[in-house]
Amino acid sequence: MISDEEPFQISVPDDAIALLKRKLEDTRFPDEVEDPGWDYGAPLADIKRLTERWRNGYDWRAQERELNALPMFTRNIEVEGYGSLNVQYVHKRSTVEGAIPLLFVHGWPGSFIEVTKLLPLLTASSPDHPSFHVVAPSLPGYAWSEGVLKKGFQGKHYAELFNKLMVSLGYTEYVTQGGDRGRLLTLTTASIYGPKHVKASHTNAPVAEPLTFRRNPFRFIKYMVTPYSAQEVQAAADAERFLRVGAGYSLEHSTKPQTIGYSLEDSPVGLLAWIYEKLVAWTDAYPWTDDEVLTWISIYWFSRAGPTASVRIYYELAKSNESLRFPEISVPFGISIFPKEVVRSPRAFLSAKASIVFESEHEAGGHFAAWEQPEALASDLRAMFGKYGPAANVVSGCSGY
Amino acid sequence: MANEKPFRIAVPDDALALLQRKLADTRFPDEVEDANWAYGTPLADIKRLTERWRGDYDWRAHERRLNEQLPMFTRDIEVDGFGTVNVHYVHKRSSVAGAIPLIYVHGWPGNFAEVSKILPLLTAEEPGHPSFHVVAPSLPGYGWSEGILKPGFQGKNYAELFNKLMISLGYSEYVTQGGDWGFVLTRYMAARHGPKHVKASHTNATVAPPITFRNSPLQYFKYLLTPYTEIERKAIERENYVKMTGMGYFAQQSTRPQTIGYALADSPVGWLAWIYEKLVSWTDEYPWTDDEVITWISIYWFSRAGPAASLRIYYEIANSGELFSLPRTSVPVGISCFPKELFRSPRAFVHAESNIVFESEHAAGGHFPAYEKPEALVDDLRRMFGRDGPAAGVVSGRIGY
Repeated sequence: MISDEEPFQISVPDDAIALLKRKLEDTRFPDEVEDPGWDYGAPLADIKRLTERWRNGYDWRAQERELNALPMFTRNIEVEGYGSLNVQYVHKRSTVEGAIPLLFVHGWPGSFIEVTKLLPLLTASSPDHPSFHVVAPSLPGYAWSEGVLKKGFQGKHYAELFNKLMVSLGYTEYVTQGGDRGRLLTLTTASIYGPKHVKASHTNAPVAEPLTFRRNPFRFIKYMVTPYSAQEVQAAADAERFLRVGAGYSLEHSTKPQTIGYSLEDSPVGLLAWIYEKLVAWTDAYPWTDDEVLTWISIYWFSRAGPTASVRIYYELAKSNESLRFPEISVPFGISIFPKEVVRSPRAFLSAKASIVFESEHEAGGHFAAWEQPEALASDLRAMFGKYGPAANVVSGCSGY
Repeated sequence: MANEKPFRIAVPDDALALLQRKLADTRFPDEVEDANWAYGTPLADIKRLTERWRGDYDWRAHERRLNEQLPMFTRDIEVDGFGTVNVHYVHKRSSVAGAIPLIYVHGWPGNFAEVSKILPLLTAEEPGHPSFHVVAPSLPGYGWSEGILKPGFQGKNYAELFNKLMISLGYSEYVTQGGDWGFVLTRYMAARHGPKHVKASHTNATVAPPITFRNSPLQYFKYLLTPYTEIERKAIERENYVKMTGMGYFAQQSTRPQTIGYALADSPVGWLAWIYEKLVSWTDEYPWTDDEVITWISIYWFSRAGPAASLRIYYEIANSGELFSLPRTSVPVGISCFPKELFRSPRAFVHAESNIVFESEHAAGGHFPAYEKPEALVDDLRRMFGRDGPAAGVVSGRIGY
């Protein structure tokens, strides 16, 4: 059943590390205006400090060993029109036989690493909460998954890839969790392969297109006359601010991924700054250590397809007009709302799109919920899928206990 | 002429050596099949240009040529609130004593050397044509002008800087020519220092704020009832194309210039790709030679303040809130319209905003007409300011003959 699966260990060649060091040594820094804070972008002092650490002190081989402690594999998956794609993924089974299979999908600038803290929590066995078998793939073109060089790889192709991956692992029925790009991709999977395969979906990215009168006249009118909650007011202000000052990266990725790609591929400090700005802007005062940051960025730097490959998804999903879409799903849906998540749509937009069976609002945490607030996210998933939860027993024969 | 110092470009040897080391270690991305220009700058172009830059391209020969062709100087200019700014500029006087003083202001990704082709034509003594004394500064943070590290350097500050430059050169009255940022900055100059000092302005930018019912009801109706000309229709198509596919750089540079600045200061190929995309998409099939492109890129690469400094103008002026509502002026304006310019407002808007005394429509040319169509641009300036022209004799005692 588990055919062409190969255990996988990251092993970056020595000359790749040597090249990185040479480039870091020859870094040419820009200057900076006086006292800019974060207004103009990632501050020079931070970038200089991180670059210096990356050049001298940061131990990639030690980090690589730690990452290799995760149970990782690769497998070839056929995607119609694209041939065979080699996908790298984390796969950890719980000791609980009837654990719920869960597909965890990251986004940009995240990676498979984001599942690390969730893994022990979700797979742990306990009479008090359900357990999960967890599968966390790297998107094509990220980390050690093969990149796609043929145009037009869209939501439905990712969905086919993920569904085939899960089914090939013996999980004909499963649930999904996703944030950032993972939101759209897991919901598209649910849309196409649910309820037959995907039985429920959870996201920490509560995004949906605005209501229109034409599509939902009653909901639209109700939405118009219902005042925003305090959180929704804050969310609207945050979304406005994001679009006004924080979305330049998205427009460049969506229109000229190759152009920005040359910079990200060739300049370690360029890649570092491009990603680090978001690691800080999108988290809720998360106390990043320098080595954490450098590991997140090194995964991109040393990735199989290179950093440029990772931004093409923006272009393709913009072309297919899917970026902010909430696909039609008929399966139970759950959301966890963290206060510093980048875009938090009004509740009315989300409830128009899916049956929200589970909802949880948190006091702390941002865009990378699995990394910043793993206990909170695990707790939400346990509540949603647990014995008395709204999505209990969605997967046949897998109660989680 | 106090504080004026003749200037010769003399890039230090170690800067050249660093560039060579970086080019030798370039890490190229892969590319989507049949991408052409759809995803950004094509890989084949970038590889070829990088090879040339690394190999047979001779910076010292181009440096000598620039030094020989362009009489350059530097001078300290006081700007209120910003202290002294050291400005690098080209200054060539005509042999015609009564030549018209003209300041040529470049934009991004342009440079002072854009003036090279029009310089001999404008300053020439030709019977039947007016002559000009030409001043072409490098914007602060471009070429060999000092960068500004105090935040908030905006339109009015550039206006003060350049007005003082002209006055310090003995040109108390003068005319301006500018496109791209040069259009914006010469508008500030005219608004704040005209008609006392700035007597007339010429531009190849064709944008103006919309006429709205609220601000000019009669003109608004007239505009609504007048069909677009064929030229206007084509221009709208061009503008929409640029807006849909080519504004990522603008969004990034006007919101987080420092973040992208790290990559662009550190990676020669990153900078090359970023600029070359515009050199091609913004011109009208201009037959760029590889060495021309590399010289443009090298001027930024070796610039006094580094390439990242050139991005800050986007942040400062976009954040002033004035970019889409520039100050108005009664100073007479001439416009030259080239078909591959980026944005073109309807004729009615342009005429409503400014005192247009000269207008000319061209069948070919794009965003850099001084470089792409020097004869056409010079011809327009000669007709605008010549003996029978609509701006004849604007500068007291300097009619050009």
